[in-house]
Amino acid sequence: MAYKSSFLIELEKLAQELQSSFAGIALQDGAGSDVHWRYACGNRNEKYKKISVRYGKGIAGKVISTGRAIQVDEFPKSITGKAVEYPIMLAEQLVSAYAVPLILAGQLKGVLLVGYHQQTEITQTLKDLVQNKALRIEDLYLSESQEGRTGDRV
Amino acid sequence: MGEPSKQSKEAVISYIIQTQEEEMKRISYELHESVGQTLYSFYTGLQFIQSGITDNQLKRFAEEMEQSLERSIKEIQMVSVELHPPTLSTLGIYPALKSYAKQFTATFGIEVEIEEGGKEKKLPEGQNVTLFRVCQEALHNAAKYADTSFIKIIFTWEADCLKIEVKDFGKGFQIDEVQTQSFPGIQAMKERMHLAGGECIISSLVGEGTEVTMVLPLLNP
Repeated sequence: MAYKSSFLIELEKLAQELQSSFAGIALQDGAGSDVHWRYACGNRNEKYKKISVRYGKGIAGKVISTGRAIQVDEFPKSITGKAVEYPIMLAEQLVSAYAVPLILAGQLKGVLLVGYHQQTEITQTLKDLVQNKALRIEDLYLSESQEGRTGDRV
Repeated sequence: MGEPSKQSKEAVISYIIQTQEEEMKRISYELHESVGQTLYSFYTGLQFIQSGITDNQLKRFAEEMEQSLERSIKEIQMVSVELHPPTLSTLGIYPALKSYAKQFTATFGIEVEIEEGGKEKKLPEGQNVTLFRVCQEALHNAAKYADTSFIKIIFTWEADCLKIEVKDFGKGFQIDEVQTQSFPGIQAMKERMHLAGGECIISSLVGEGTEVTMVLPLLNP
């Protein structure tokens, strides 16, 4: 049986709990470097694996550069800028999404995102659940890195 | 005063497009040659200063500054290339599009395969720019609407014309709907090709994908 990452297990639990279409974790390779989607569930295709966004670009790049959550209510109507600046929304045909920063080993290095194919209200309950899951992933990362199991994930 | 003729309207549009492209090229050059070079001087200077720092706290601070500068230099380079790819002026449309295709795959996760047939010819810069912008628009449209993972671009150099086909193998659309509704992106692609003396044909089948074909007559075959 293939090894299933504990991060992926957490993503699946979150997606199930929120009934989301997609959930993913994007990580930055190094300080100021590009950001890649490393873990995903509910994905419609494998495009997320090839997407590499620059620091400060795309949802993932913006969340990492600002350290703040990003909410997309109705893509592409409600966005600032162009639709092509949101590659993960296009790749996964998402309409609503919420993304929060992940602080891994004391550094802002990742993003947790949940998305929906249909327009979905981003409620405070949803935000709290995503934020709690982000804390859980951060703890998980810390314990795995102490055990030396994170390898080159970040 | 009468309505301006079709010819004078086209001349105005052509002038606006050309001015815009020239301005983009100028900004791209300025960013690369001026801002980029200055930042690079700061970067190498900072590296020199770093080698003389013994205080650990200061060293860490200098390292952070170095990373930030490195990021800014890369960012300037990327914006400069996005505004006007230098290969477009030096090497031509085919190498410029090949390079852009790699960047497109990294941005949208969509694989792009480029094929070339026939003997490549040197085109005037204006035509290179037109073809590049129309291909860019076709690729962006595929990323936005086609829901595809693969795009194929075929260059065919013939004695008297160049044909470029962009096939997206995506979900396609009803071509009549596009013709009756206002889609400025598609109209702009057609208009740009028309002003360059060529044409842009768009065909699509629901479930099979969309094909954008650009044909440009070559002046000196």
